[in-house]
Amino acid sequence: MIRVLVTDDSRVMRQIVIRTLRQAGYDWDVREASDGAEALAAIQADEPDVVLSDWNMPNMTGIELLRSLRAAGYQTPFGFVTSEGSPEMRSTAQEAGALFLIAKPFTAEGFREVIDPVLA
Amino acid sequence: MTATVEYDQIHAIAQEVFAAMVDGDLGLLLPWDGDLPDIVDALVAWVDLHGEWSGRAVLVTASDTAHDLARVLLGLDDGDAVSRADLVDAFGEIANVVGGNLKSLLPTPGTLGLPQVGDVLPPLAGAARVQHLPLSWRGRLLVVDVWVTLPTATPEGTS
Repeated sequence: MIRVLVTDDSRVMRQIVIRTLRQAGYDWDVREASDGAEALAAIQADEPDVVLSDWNMPNMTGIELLRSLRAAGYQTPFGFVTSEGSPEMRSTAQEAGALFLIAKPFTAEGFREVIDPVLA
Repeated sequence: MTATVEYDQIHAIAQEVFAAMVDGDLGLLLPWDGDLPDIVDALVAWVDLHGEWSGRAVLVTASDTAHDLARVLLGLDDGDAVSRADLVDAFGEIANVVGGNLKSLLPTPGTLGLPQVGDVLPPLAGAARVQHLPLSWRGRLLVVDVWVTLPTATPEGTS
C-alpha cells in the first residue's frame, strides 16, 4: 500500500484532500502534517512513498520543505496541492523537483488525471 | 498597477470553488436577487495579496451559514456541532482558495498571505473596494468583495 504524507495547515483542507484521494480510488495509507517543518520531521523519521503538500503555510512553506528535502538527499516523490496555480508557481515547483501541482479547487477526476501518470 | 478584475471573473472563481469544494454543482451560487438583507452575526474571512497588484479577497456571511459551510466541508451531518477552530479553518480556507485563484488572474507575480477570519473586516490602508458580489448560496446571502490598494499618487515631475 502506498504511504502518503498530506501536509496542509488547514485541517479542513487535509480532510478534503484525503477524502478526494479516496474518491479518486487511491486506497492509500495516510499520515498528516500541519506545516512544512512538521512534515520535514515526519519524513526524516519515516519516509513516505509520496508527499502531497500545500504551498502557503506558516513555519515552513511547501517550497521550502521540498528544497530542504532535496538538499538533505531525499528524493521522495512530491506534489503540490495549492490554491495558486500560476505558470510562475508551476515553473518554480518543477525546478525544485515537484512532480506535479494540483490547483485548488480540485476534483477526484483532476486528482486522477495528474496522479495516475506519475504512478505509472 | 491597477489591473482590472472583472465581476464575471470573480463570480466564476466563486462558483468553481463552491462547485468543487461544497456543492458538486456549478449552479448553486447565484447572483443575489432582490433587496439585500442585513447579515446578522456576520463572519468575515479574507486573504491579502501583496505585490505590484496588492489587495484583498473577502467573504462575508452569517455565522449560521458559515457553520453550514463548515459542516459540508468537514463531511458532517446537519446539526452536528462545529468547533470555533473548525469554523475559522473552513471559512478561511474558502477565502484562501478564492484569493489564490484571484492571484492567478493577475498579470504580475506576487504573494498570498495566510487567511484570516473575524467578526469584522479590519481596514486595509489605501484600499478601495473594486468588486462587490452579493451571492445566494442555497438561498442565503454570501458576499464576495475584492479590494485593491491604490497606487500612491506620484508628484508631478518625479515620474
